[in-house]
Amino acid sequence: MSCGFSLTNVEKGYSGISVLTGVTACFESGRTHVLMGPSGSGKTTLLRLLAGLETPDAGEVGRSGVERLAMTFQEDRLCDNLTVTANVRLPHARLRGAERAAFLELEREACAAVGLPCDARPVRELSGGQRRRVSILRCVLADADAFLFDEPLKGMDEKTVDAVMDFVLPRLAGRTTLWVTHDERELSRFDDPVLWRVEGGRVISCS
Amino acid sequence: MARAGERGAEKDGRLRTWAVRLACVAFWLVVWELGARAIDARIILVGPLEVLARLAQLATTGEFWASVGVSLGRIGVGFLTAVIAGTALAALASRVTVVRELLAPVMGAMKAVPVASFVILVLLWVSSSYLSVVIALVMALPIVYTNVLEGILQTDPGLLEMCDVFGVLGWDRVRLVYASQVLPYFRVAVTLALGLAWKAGIAAEVIGLPDFTIGEHLYDAKVYLDTPDLFAWTVAIVVVSVTLETVVRRLLDRVVVRWEARP
Repeated sequence: MSCGFSLTNVEKGYSGISVLTGVTACFESGRTHVLMGPSGSGKTTLLRLLAGLETPDAGEVGRSGVERLAMTFQEDRLCDNLTVTANVRLPHARLRGAERAAFLELEREACAAVGLPCDARPVRELSGGQRRRVSILRCVLADADAFLFDEPLKGMDEKTVDAVMDFVLPRLAGRTTLWVTHDERELSRFDDPVLWRVEGGRVISCS
Repeated sequence: MARAGERGAEKDGRLRTWAVRLACVAFWLVVWELGARAIDARIILVGPLEVLARLAQLATTGEFWASVGVSLGRIGVGFLTAVIAGTALAALASRVTVVRELLAPVMGAMKAVPVASFVILVLLWVSSSYLSVVIALVMALPIVYTNVLEGILQTDPGLLEMCDVFGVLGWDRVRLVYASQVLPYFRVAVTLALGLAWKAGIAAEVIGLPDFTIGEHLYDAKVYLDTPDLFAWTVAIVVVSVTLETVVRRLLDRVVVRWEARP
């Protein structure tokens, strides 16, 4: 088994409060890993460590075969002044000419699939739910080897979740994915996920 | 139907606002005219009708347009240099703390020193022909620098983290993230600095007296106690200032709208 992401005796805390203690885990590449756990248990910290946005206080964080990352954060982190398509295309900033036109077409199809308006409005004029979907599309359509999702479906109604997951799931197949959620119902949407529990500073495999 | 109704109401509201504004301007023009008649001394105060007549007379001369053109050109060069230099320095200062610390007292001094002191100093260093260029530059630079730097520093750190994760670096990060965050600050800086540069530039011309400039004509009007000329040139300055600000603001608004609407 090859680890797309690995943690070896990782310790992480903030202002003297320990969040992760002696965590060792291997997230197998090419599979979907669902991480569950109570609020404040360290799920987001774990994702941030794997994304390289935090450095561990002790231990090692490793990546193998993961050059390009894509992530949805707990917040939308969109450029408010740009349109839906400009935001989704942000990781593809260098596309030009025919490649750009082809990607724009893909973006329009993606917007239609998840029920997003694809017009000249900047995203600051969109609703919270719509902005969330823009952030998910930016992640899924990025040319990445691995995906990190931090509670991406939070606050979405069931019908929208269905539409989003119908679009997202086929694109995650065979790629290393870490999916953080509180909602056990999301588990049933994945085909043979690896379930992890984050609790008490530990990350435990439940599969 | 409802939207057409809303548009109609919006148009009515705008017309009413303009009608109120025009009525206020008309009120003060009447007060000015009555005041001039009551004082009845042309050397102290001339009425708006006489000023308008003098301005119309001036506008038929080539010298008037040449003076406006020369003043506008020189102040414009100083202002544009300030916009380019201020933006570049702000970008550099946002990256290099030493530059930011070094520039802080310089920009502070440029904001605090009176225009007249700068004018006298600059006259010792350069020919009076270039005076308004330098003064416009000195007045606009700290405003552009401070606002653009503030815009860069206020850029959402969450967006920069997002760029780190997605590998959006260098020029792409500037163009897509910083530009959209800094643009509102830049817009305010440019409109503020433009008005200030124009007024300070004219004031510098009054002191430095370069040939064929608005400032020279204002000075002549003072020396010859030609109050109608003084008022007419002042009105010309105000008209140019308002026109410039409106044109630049609309231009920037159009740029922002086009920038935001890109697919």
